Amino acid sequence: MALSLKYYLKEIFRIEWLKKFLFARTAPLGTPTYFRNFPELTGKTCTHALFCMMACPAPGAIEVIKTPEGWQPRIHIGHCIRCGLCVEACPNGVLSSGRILESMFYDNTALSFSFRIDVDTDKCMGCGNCAVACPVNKLIDAQMSFGGRASTDELLLMVSAGKCRAVHVEKCTGCKTCEDNCPNKAISVTRLLEAIHCPEEDL
Amino acid sequence: MKRTVDVSIPVGPIHPCWKEPARVKCETKGEFVLSAEVELGYMKKGIERIMRGRPWQEVMFLAERVCGICSVIHNMVFIEALEGISSIPVPERAALLRVIVNELDRMQSHILANFSYCYTIEHETLAMYLLDVREKVMDELERITGARVTCAYIVPGGVRFDLRHEDALRLRANLAAIEDEIIRYTGMFENGPMIALRSKRIGILTKEDAREACAVGPTARASGMPESDRRLYHPTYQKLGFVPVSREEGDNFARIMMRFQEILQSIALIRRCLDTLPEGPVRGGGIPGAGEIAYSGEAPRGELSYFIRTDAAGRIVDIAIQTPSIMNIEACCHYMLKGVASLADVPSTFVSSDPCIACTER
Amino acid sequence: MSLLQRVKNFVRSRSIHVAYVDVGSCNGCDIEVLACLSPRYDIEQYGIYVHNNPREADILLVIGAFTPGWEDKLRSVWDKIPEPKAAIAIGNCPISGCLYNRPHTLIDPPVAKHIPIAAQVPGCPPRPTEILSAVLAVAPVVFKDFEVKKR
Repeated sequence: MALSLKYYLKEIFRIEWLKKFLFARTAPLGTPTYFRNFPELTGKTCTHALFCMMACPAPGAIEVIKTPEGWQPRIHIGHCIRCGLCVEACPNGVLSSGRILESMFYDNTALSFSFRIDVDTDKCMGCGNCAVACPVNKLIDAQMSFGGRASTDELLLMVSAGKCRAVHVEKCTGCKTCEDNCPNKAISVTRLLEAIHCPEEDL
Repeated sequence: MKRTVDVSIPVGPIHPCWKEPARVKCETKGEFVLSAEVELGYMKKGIERIMRGRPWQEVMFLAERVCGICSVIHNMVFIEALEGISSIPVPERAALLRVIVNELDRMQSHILANFSYCYTIEHETLAMYLLDVREKVMDELERITGARVTCAYIVPGGVRFDLRHEDALRLRANLAAIEDEIIRYTGMFENGPMIALRSKRIGILTKEDAREACAVGPTARASGMPESDRRLYHPTYQKLGFVPVSREEGDNFARIMMRFQEILQSIALIRRCLDTLPEGPVRGGGIPGAGEIAYSGEAPRGELSYFIRTDAAGRIVDIAIQTPSIMNIEACCHYMLKGVASLADVPSTFVSSDPCIACTER
Repeated sequence: MSLLQRVKNFVRSRSIHVAYVDVGSCNGCDIEVLACLSPRYDIEQYGIYVHNNPREADILLVIGAFTPGWEDKLRSVWDKIPEPKAAIAIGNCPISGCLYNRPHTLIDPPVAKHIPIAAQVPGCPPRPTEILSAVLAVAPVVFKDFEVKKR
């Protein structure tokens, strides 16, 4: 009886066991490589396509900011939901976040943007504000920003027969400047996102 | 008829057993619960109103955040509804990957529900074992999708990430380990004498009551309604030869056992998917167009239906979501809790119907 | 520093009681807090005990984007916690409103408008390890020499 009690006490009050019981703490576990963490810059050059901002589902989570080194996306922690759409939508690979999203390089998956311009002909009064404000129009025909008189047919937006018309929709960059400048809210730009996979295409 | 009510006892909104705020008001006579009423309204965020006028890439994430526990099925039902509107084809590999991720999500949700039940009846050992298995399931989910909870995996015309070969092998190996543990814990739950005292013949929902209360999901299937499983009508599940399981008792014990059985069923479904996974693309592309559709799928808690109307640019014009928990909470409060012999069984009965307040109120 | 204060510091560093309150989230952060309990993360080895009783708690984890149903209730929950106390905002919702912070929404973020927040854990949802390290980092700052600092 006394022996077994002594044996018990010896078993319970082992020094290393007591130390473990009172002081053992494991450090908090690390983050696995496949986790989609907050996007980080890879150092590639940003071309200011703004696809990351267009794809982002969270309000105010990503901004492209002009720095001395050029354009740079900036993630606002506290707004970012770590979905990784910006990483996938970026045409230049400026952002990266974890191993899972690197799969888009070897699987050739991508999110591609296309834009659609709808003009409500009942509301449009043909003022041409959209065509004058459009930055793509300005690049194609510098004259547009002065007199609003087109010298070429290659424009994105044109007023013909008293109504605004999208002539070359494929040139649209989705900036929505026309929407902001329309006094009647007659024009609307939709950013269509498409998830594509092209395994036969080489990188 | 005048009823003798001793006292009306509110349980909640902050209660040690409940993860989310809801208040159950029990009219009691001594310890005996005469009737119960649920009071919601602590979580209303107005998600359906926010969703209107937005393109799919924003609504997809909002749909996921209707319910954080079963986020994959919300994503899947919303995207499949859009695909139904504009008849976007899905590659076969992507369809099977969707089923794999959905079943993993269902497994973790069921394990969490069973964990909460065991925690509520103070069987903490089993609860912790279950939570440990859940971490393994979460690892698999994270390895495929890159996120633990809100995965954002399913997009129109496919899925976002491919399942790599070595990940598939690891998934298969870990599934075997998970299955062993789940079988062991099912045995522990089934044969535990203390668990039987707290669970068997408590909170009974008969088949007629279940039908009348429109109970769905494991709650209905534990009362003998296997036809309530919406997976029966899903083409990919039909191809996999899915057959729902059901039990007859309809008490707390049956509901928890039902979830254990469905976890094992999910493991078998994932195995079948991995066996038949063909090579090929995971995204077909496709842009949603105009139309309207009512589409439903089987969430871990039951039938989830979306009604969606879109305009020509693919933006959501009108959306209505019906989540399973509202029916189950109704069934729980008006049928299960009526006649519960002790007030101590109210939290465990409420938890056994797996209520998710976040998706009830949205 | 008195001996009593030293004893208090030691005890408070080893025993942190945590309550959590969900003020309108999607549940994602709730289950990540629950996952902290699991044997893998094992929150109790650090002396952190999670239960849901504000009257016994030291740290309040606020989850969610403040719905109108909590207008006065969150304040009363906060008042019930005995001193010393701290509140930690878990997830994006209490910080910025996350995805719900759009026109026509019912929520009213940030939660810092309603109760004082000591720390914020960003992410939607944050990983259990991030929650764990936030609680561990906040606790000594708030609780060490509390009586001395109050004076």
